[in-house]
Amino acid sequence: MQKKVDSVQSQRTIAAIISFLLIFIFLMVIAVVNAPTMGGPKVMASSKTYLAEVKRTALPFLGVVGIGALAIGFVVARMVYRVWPNKKNRMTMLAAYGFLAPYLIVTLVFTVGVILFALYISFNNYDIFTPPQWVGLANYLKAFDGFVDPTQKDFIQSLYNVFWYSIIVIPLQTSIAILLAVLVNAPIRMKRFFRTVFYAPSVTSSVVITLIFMWFYLKTGYINFFISKFFGLFGITWQNVLWLGDPRGLIQLIVTALGGNIPSTQWYLRGPSIAWMAIMFQNIFTTAPTFMIMFLAAMQDINPTLYEAAAIDGASNWHKFWKITLPLLRPIILLVVVLGTIGTLQVFDQVYLATSGGPLGTSLTPVYLTFREAMGQQGPIRMGYAAALAFILAIIIFCFTYLQRRFIERGTELY
Amino acid sequence: MAAIIQKLNLQKTADKTGKPVSYYIGLVIRYLVLFAIGLILFSPFILAFLGTFKTDAEIIAYPPKFLPLHWLWENWAKNWHTDIGRGGNFPRWLFNTAFLSVTVAGLEVIFCSLAAYAFARMKFPGRDLVFSFMLATMMIPGAVTLIPSYVLMSKLKLINSFFSLIIPGAVSAGGIFMLTQFFKSVPQELVEAAHMDGASHLQIYKDIILPLSRPALLTILILQFQGMWNSFLAPLLYLNSADKMVLNVALSIFQQTYKAQWNLTLVGAMFNAFPVLIIFFIFSKYYIEGISYTGVKG
Repeated sequence: MQKKVDSVQSQRTIAAIISFLLIFIFLMVIAVVNAPTMGGPKVMASSKTYLAEVKRTALPFLGVVGIGALAIGFVVARMVYRVWPNKKNRMTMLAAYGFLAPYLIVTLVFTVGVILFALYISFNNYDIFTPPQWVGLANYLKAFDGFVDPTQKDFIQSLYNVFWYSIIVIPLQTSIAILLAVLVNAPIRMKRFFRTVFYAPSVTSSVVITLIFMWFYLKTGYINFFISKFFGLFGITWQNVLWLGDPRGLIQLIVTALGGNIPSTQWYLRGPSIAWMAIMFQNIFTTAPTFMIMFLAAMQDINPTLYEAAAIDGASNWHKFWKITLPLLRPIILLVVVLGTIGTLQVFDQVYLATSGGPLGTSLTPVYLTFREAMGQQGPIRMGYAAALAFILAIIIFCFTYLQRRFIERGTELY
Repeated sequence: MAAIIQKLNLQKTADKTGKPVSYYIGLVIRYLVLFAIGLILFSPFILAFLGTFKTDAEIIAYPPKFLPLHWLWENWAKNWHTDIGRGGNFPRWLFNTAFLSVTVAGLEVIFCSLAAYAFARMKFPGRDLVFSFMLATMMIPGAVTLIPSYVLMSKLKLINSFFSLIIPGAVSAGGIFMLTQFFKSVPQELVEAAHMDGASHLQIYKDIILPLSRPALLTILILQFQGMWNSFLAPLLYLNSADKMVLNVALSIFQQTYKAQWNLTLVGAMFNAFPVLIIFFIFSKYYIEGISYTGVKG
């Protein structure tokens, strides 16, 4: 009896040690693969030259990751130690992690590993071809150089642009989505037909929609044509606009109309440019139907007896909407606003295709800037700087979603 | 005959219940509004489709004519025969896109359902920890992993290999989350009975959970297919040799090479849009369920 207990005891110790080693080695392999090293054909020629390079340049990185790997390995080993004596528990744990293995491996390599790498190089100057150089917070500080040096204004301007983008697009797309949902939320025939037609802009690729809109926005395109027709009804002649190439800002236009002038050094007073607003319009066009689907689903979950009771009390449709539908939609509104914020802060496809950040940087976005810096499309490859920009953006997104959650949830409590 | 009489009777009773005239007016107005919104939302596709038949001059002429003067079917053929050398031609790009979308969607269904089964139906140490870890990864904006992923892909020599999109695309936290919720709703008694009979977890997953979750699996399949078909930034970064490009990336190159020949670019856009629209028309129910369930597109 005593002997059996002993053998179980030694078995579980061995199992714990083995699982600790396996986890530790696995995490370190991920770290080595992700380690910031010099690239180039010479280094990448064989695993031997690559490992030599890792040893030369990435030991501090491996050290930091190693501490984390030790901790995770310890936690796992403790779990194994606990479940080992019971055969059923042991097999269940083995099966469960077997089921989870594809997800865990891919996520650890392509998400966690990649983020650690990005965090590390954001403190370095790194161009893939030479070893990373530690520069501390310089990349993060450089992002905000635009406040003092107007030639470095790109990142500041991209934040300024997405700020306008968010405060115009989010309220519009949310309210249009609710409006559409109210209109459609009734038993209708040919549901499938209407669904397909309504959601066509949001299910097709943003590349397709952007290309079609680029054609619409030509100086000789349909947008100018329809606007001129519309103004023609009132006898006003419309000067065709080069939509995607017009840097004039909204506030600038108003000030100019009133006889004032905003000099180009004060670009931050000009407001969103015509080109930028054209992209906003296109974006609302494609996202509003998607969000409408979500509102529609939520509306159909509302208990019909609420409306019946309200009808007995003599409430009008208008009242029903404000007093029943809207308050009950609050959680979905929160979700739509949060998703909208995350989406609008990460605009890329439209900018890459339609404007490349122009005219005069009025459609630059942080993600486009990250892409441009990392690919070296304008000047040298600056991976570290690009990574720092991406992290600043991530922090902004986290802050906004957190604030919105707090803000809107507090609003809900009032009901 | 009997059916018609019955119908007539029904109609009579409907009239007897006496819907007021205003009801019918409201109905007509509602459908008119629906058609108007539908027309506006679909107009890009109609106008672009008509544009594909126009001549090079006509497509940028002002004022634009709604219908093409001559229906130039050649534009479609010309687009189909686009060849930029080094193995880059239109059918190839179409194939690449379809192949990637089907593969990624299929793998995702398999791997996400496996992981979701573990979360929903198994008890093991570390489950809640791993689940919260997964929820945390869902909050990470895609922009952050973009650049370092590119570096990693080039280290793994996966640039210009389909694996660069297939491997990371084969699992998704959103898909696992959605399936976990769904698997939890499968009646506990069924699973317990199977356990009593000595079925293994793999058998329960295969023979009980999967058949009962067909709608949820189909939803993931459709969403993921569409997500991969429409993705742009990742293929732009990872697949840039002429023979490996996907349609979206090729389209952006079309636009740069054809410049003012918008008719040809629009044909490409139509080729890209139609498959997704047709699939959406057939499976719209599942698609909408997926969107309203997770709130995440693609």
